[in-house]
Amino acid sequence: METSKSLTPITKITKYTLIDEVQQRSFVIMFVFCAICVFLVRGCYQGNYMVNGQALDTGTIVRTLSKATFHIIGTGVMVIASLLSMRIFRRDRNEGMQSCILSKPIARWQYVMGKILGLWVVSTLFMFILHSIVFLITSINLKVIMPEYLVASLLCSINLLFVVIAVLLLSLLMPDIVAFLSVLGVGVVGFVADGIAAASHSQIAQAMLQQSTASPQSDVTWWRVVYFLWPKLLGVQQLASSLIESESSHGFGPAYPLINVLAYCLILGVLLFNRFRDEDTV
Amino acid sequence: MIELKNVTKRYDPLTAVDNVSFSVKTGECFALLGPNGAGKTTIVKMLLDFTRPSSGSLSINGIPSTDAECRQSIGYLAENHHMPPALSGWQYLLRCAELLGISRSEAADQCRRIVELIGMHGRENTKVGTYSKGMVQRFGLGAALMGDPKLLILDEPTSGLDPIGIREIRQLLESLKDQGMTIFLNSHLLSEVEKICDTAAIINRGKLLVKDTISSIVKDGETLEDLFVRVVKG
Repeated sequence: METSKSLTPITKITKYTLIDEVQQRSFVIMFVFCAICVFLVRGCYQGNYMVNGQALDTGTIVRTLSKATFHIIGTGVMVIASLLSMRIFRRDRNEGMQSCILSKPIARWQYVMGKILGLWVVSTLFMFILHSIVFLITSINLKVIMPEYLVASLLCSINLLFVVIAVLLLSLLMPDIVAFLSVLGVGVVGFVADGIAAASHSQIAQAMLQQSTASPQSDVTWWRVVYFLWPKLLGVQQLASSLIESESSHGFGPAYPLINVLAYCLILGVLLFNRFRDEDTV
Repeated sequence: MIELKNVTKRYDPLTAVDNVSFSVKTGECFALLGPNGAGKTTIVKMLLDFTRPSSGSLSINGIPSTDAECRQSIGYLAENHHMPPALSGWQYLLRCAELLGISRSEAADQCRRIVELIGMHGRENTKVGTYSKGMVQRFGLGAALMGDPKLLILDEPTSGLDPIGIREIRQLLESLKDQGMTIFLNSHLLSEVEKICDTAAIINRGKLLVKDTISSIVKDGETLEDLFVRVVKG
């Protein structure tokens, strides 16, 4: 009974956040633009691709292109989610909704929770619809049905939760645009580091590392710790996209990136609630 | 109903509210008066837990102001009230009702009644972006009245209203007072305060200077304005 009493205002604030975001003209323009861009990918599926003089079969083309599109959409929506989140508190304050909500018997944590959920749901829907367009293109035009594509999209939404919480927290501590750029920076550094890590596992890189004796092993240890602890946004995307591979692929793969990002969500979430509890609102 | 005990609020290096204590009884119409920057709005914000005191405590009906439960039956109108421009006045009132946990059908009934009460019938379905400041203020007052609150906290309720609007709001507040509602009023319009309120407190630079019934602090042949100037100028 007590739980449902606590959940009711959260549900309402989530609903209002969702409605308010969807009604924004900038949101609609952004969504239509992204949907058109994804729709244009349709042409890529109709090309003839040759590797080592051999034409690729439709299944391989579809899966490879779909995976690439999956990553582009996943990354793009993370940027959009940060844009949506960065000014949510300020807008609520300027438009009087914060004082309207907090002057009611609604606790601050319920307000913040409602905002997080609203932004998470709206950005997840945004990404899911874009991924669904790819799913429909491959299903209708190419007769390749990949339900795992949609499951992967939902799994990837964990990244959006991280982005929403991180931007909301930082927007309380610094100007909105700096909060947006900071989270973008965390994402870019993570993506680059993962790229370098992937490249370093190649045979050429391994050979080069073995030959090089200039840097002792202990020097790189702290880099490894930082790399290990850095938010694994690309890792989650790769984990999700591994679902799109054929059944013979490595399935879910290592779950560490998922645990890493969920742990960040938890830690940043606690920090956000604590910060907002002591914040001078309105 | 409202109790402030040794409340201090510091925004270093400024002390916005300095060791203020007073109480407001149930059914009382109370005015908090003071020049700009005296600390009136800060007290209101602390009552609603928008900001926390540096020291001291505030309570409503015996419940600490930091507990959301104490806002169960409070209506609040902010100074320079704002509303989301994408909503209509009706949608805004509906949201306020929903946030109070009022059922949809009952909310619609209350909204209809309040729209009539604030004199906004016929304009409730147009977007807030098209409203004048006075109209926004009226809807703000309507939102504060949602759910039949027992305590009404009004920060400059007549801000932006024309003389007719001011008179209508005064008449509305008088009728609410007659119904037994406790009213906490922040206002610069001393003539209006004198007509509506029973008790008043004057603060300046965060310090409480006077708090008593208006009839006892205003001397014969003096107006509340005279008293205000005399007390504030020391």
